[in-house]
Amino acid sequence: MKRINFVIVPFAALVFGCVLYGQEAPAKSDPAQRRDLTGVWMIRNPAPMRAYAGATFTKEEPEMTAWAQGKYKEAKASNNGTFTLETTNDPVLTRCDPPGVPRVYFHPYPFEFVQTPKYTLMLYEYDHMVRRIYTDGRSIPKDVDPSWMGTSVGHWEGDTTFVVESAGFNDKTWLDRLGHPHTTELHVTERFRRIDKDHMQIDFTFEDPKALAKPWKSTFSLELRPKWELGEISCSGDYLDFSKFEK
Amino acid sequence: MRGMVLVLAAAIAVLIVSAPAVAHHGTAAFDTAKTVTTTGTIVEFKFANPHVQLSWEVKNDKGEKDLWQGELTAPNKLQRAGWTNQTLKPGDSVTISGYAVKSGAHTMWIRKLIGPGGQELPLFEE
Repeated sequence: MKRINFVIVPFAALVFGCVLYGQEAPAKSDPAQRRDLTGVWMIRNPAPMRAYAGATFTKEEPEMTAWAQGKYKEAKASNNGTFTLETTNDPVLTRCDPPGVPRVYFHPYPFEFVQTPKYTLMLYEYDHMVRRIYTDGRSIPKDVDPSWMGTSVGHWEGDTTFVVESAGFNDKTWLDRLGHPHTTELHVTERFRRIDKDHMQIDFTFEDPKALAKPWKSTFSLELRPKWELGEISCSGDYLDFSKFEK
Repeated sequence: MRGMVLVLAAAIAVLIVSAPAVAHHGTAAFDTAKTVTTTGTIVEFKFANPHVQLSWEVKNDKGEKDLWQGELTAPNKLQRAGWTNQTLKPGDSVTISGYAVKSGAHTMWIRKLIGPGGQELPLFEE
């Protein structure tokens, strides 16, 4: 019995400790492969983050410029907001606009990493969003044309951290589901840190001198889903018909 | 003692996993403070993007049939929870619970669904 208690008491303490702090202890997993993120990944943030992390990056508001504060007040969010489909001005919900980066992470669907020798693809299940991250040593061109998903380059730091720098975004998207704005000067840094075979974290840094008074940072946790395959989630078609569900 | 701890751990695991799903639109139109439960038969099952839609008939107090409608999450997510496009069909008996729309219309954001075999169907992927 003593031996059992020796095992059970620390285990129970661990379980209760996890509950107290709201953190699930990650399941044991094999070590991460070297310089390889291939596979289907799903965001699974720790419990304390779930009240806000389906809609935005931090519990606290980012430090915004006066311009951004004004734009933010104009945003009428429906996802996690108080507006219906008929009253929102969310560009994704009203026009089916691409969510852009980084808002694409708030669509609750998986994404897949596909690695080739010269670039890495990020295939997001939501509405066929794709990012091509060049790994051939090139830099982001200075006068790159603005696009929804931006222009990305990536490199490895050590064997398990893939660093992606992105710029060249248009200014038509929100940074998140709440409507935090950005300009074409948005610069996104994502550090994809593979913890072990089944777990990864992304350290985000968003910089935009016209919208953010200081860099906005967050870390999201993800889990590998070896049995999942990406399907099709289309924004077109009867997407907007859902307003009838609110009448 | 060991069994109790395992049961406790399992219960905690369930609590951790069952985070609320967020629809592609918000909850503003729905009364999320009140859960409504209806029992009836499926009229239509649309296993389609972006969210699966259901309609079902429910007998009201006067013996008349009310037509209810509701939505679930995306078909991909339901497939990963074990669904197919044959999981429900017209005529199936179901008990459906969820948040009704504030306007009072027979529209529901479905949160729980007991299928024709009497078993609860999973509404969320792992």
